[in-house]
Amino acid sequence: MVAKYTHQANSPLLKGLAHHKEAMIHSLLRLWHTPLSTWITLAAIAIALSLPASLHLFLKNLKSLTDDKREVPTISLFIKQGVSEKQARDQAELLRELSEIDKVVLIPKDVALKDFRKITGFAEAIETLDENPLPHVLVVTPHLKLLGDPENDMKRLARKLESYSEVDIVQMDIEWVQRLRGILRITERVILIISILLGMTVLLVIGNTIRLNIENRKEEIEVSKLIGATTAYIRRPFLYTGIWYGLFGGIISLVLVHLALMFLVTPVNELAVLYGSNFTINGLGIKNTLYILLVSSLLGLIGAWLAVGKHLRNA
Amino acid sequence: MIEFKAVSKQYPTGQLALYNVNVRLQQGEMAFLTGQSGAGKSTLLKLIALLEHISDGEIFVAGQNIQQIKKSKIPGFRRNIGMIFQDHHLLDDRTVFENIALPLKIEGMRPQDIRRRVRAALDKVNLLRKEKEYPMMLSAGEKQRVGIARAVVNKPSIILADEPTGNLDPDLAQDIMHTFKQFNEYGSTVLIASHDHNLIKEMKKRIIVLRKVIK
Repeated sequence: MVAKYTHQANSPLLKGLAHHKEAMIHSLLRLWHTPLSTWITLAAIAIALSLPASLHLFLKNLKSLTDDKREVPTISLFIKQGVSEKQARDQAELLRELSEIDKVVLIPKDVALKDFRKITGFAEAIETLDENPLPHVLVVTPHLKLLGDPENDMKRLARKLESYSEVDIVQMDIEWVQRLRGILRITERVILIISILLGMTVLLVIGNTIRLNIENRKEEIEVSKLIGATTAYIRRPFLYTGIWYGLFGGIISLVLVHLALMFLVTPVNELAVLYGSNFTINGLGIKNTLYILLVSSLLGLIGAWLAVGKHLRNA
Repeated sequence: MIEFKAVSKQYPTGQLALYNVNVRLQQGEMAFLTGQSGAGKSTLLKLIALLEHISDGEIFVAGQNIQQIKKSKIPGFRRNIGMIFQDHHLLDDRTVFENIALPLKIEGMRPQDIRRRVRAALDKVNLLRKEKEYPMMLSAGEKQRVGIARAVVNKPSIILADEPTGNLDPDLAQDIMHTFKQFNEYGSTVLIASHDHNLIKEMKKRIIVLRKVIK
């Protein structure tokens, strides 16, 4: 048999590993030796990836505003006129016993009037009134951890509080949260669409770069086939090139996103202070960083696979 | 070792390159394939290496009908054949060493074994000093010898050469032929397509003449 003349030095596993090692190193060296085209491609990939990454980060931070315990929506209970401060305080004590409620703060009507004077500047007009028209207010902070569906459970709690005889009006401060959540849901979908479109762009950029690589190395491919290279052997270095493009593009995009973040931290913190919030910008975190690198490498692999597959089918 | 049984080859363009070819080469034999331009010499070599497929007949290599070799097994089959071309088919961006090492890398050999085998092949074609040079820096004869070294580095059982001395002066051509003779003496079956009748006669080996198909 012809096969008896073959000289295989290694086991199939070692042979496979040697091929992978060769393809990895060779593809890296090729990128290194063509710095200009490599950097242009990497820049295009990085920009395309940094946009969805930044939007994701923006959304993540926006969500933290609504999810954060500090920003838990509250329910304001306006106590009926004629109820004394002591009775209102007793009511607050009673409410604190409820498991759904985390905190109850009493704003006595005198304090409320003082604040009203200070904020509105209607001090003189208020002086003309015989008695304080403002009621005592109980600001109730629900225990969000005990609520399954915050939106519905908040409404249920509000109905329960309404049933107390001392309570005149119940006002939920949840509307802004609901609106924000609605906006976030739309934003989330917009970001998903943008991410898919830009992901496809990365796929096309890498696919086209690999296609050009194949064109430049047509002779090498032909010679390799003539001397017995398998399809996998021919395909492998191109696949690694795609992975490198995706991975390095992903790394550069992360650098860009973090640079932008550093640029924004100070003004955002200053704005948060003005709003009396201790909100700070969150970074991508290890999980999201690894996720971006994995996705970008996968996009590189798929782009390269499609380009090489097309060439090998046509060859 | 190699047997053609009533082999015909017609290209998709309609051109009939070979018609009813019957030929047999013994293991370890060296033979020359000659004939007019267009007689089908290159086609016959390509058929053996499965670079082309026959239209009719059967080809056996080492007792195996090569038309029955699965597509996935063709690269492995080709690794047992050393092919040499008139235009060398060397990679210009790789050194002489790297060009010759290519079949061994495809084979998945360890670097130390590759180094040893490549140097041995370079020694056989008297190019040890040129291992770090690029093909562009070599003469036509040297390029051809690099092509031969690459074809034999894997110790193939069959060596096929298509007009290996086509562009060389007579002295160099003779050198190359003697190199083939050496490899034949090591045990390889050698089939060389050439139209250099004087050179072929000098080698005193079997000559297979192909006649152009007129239809």
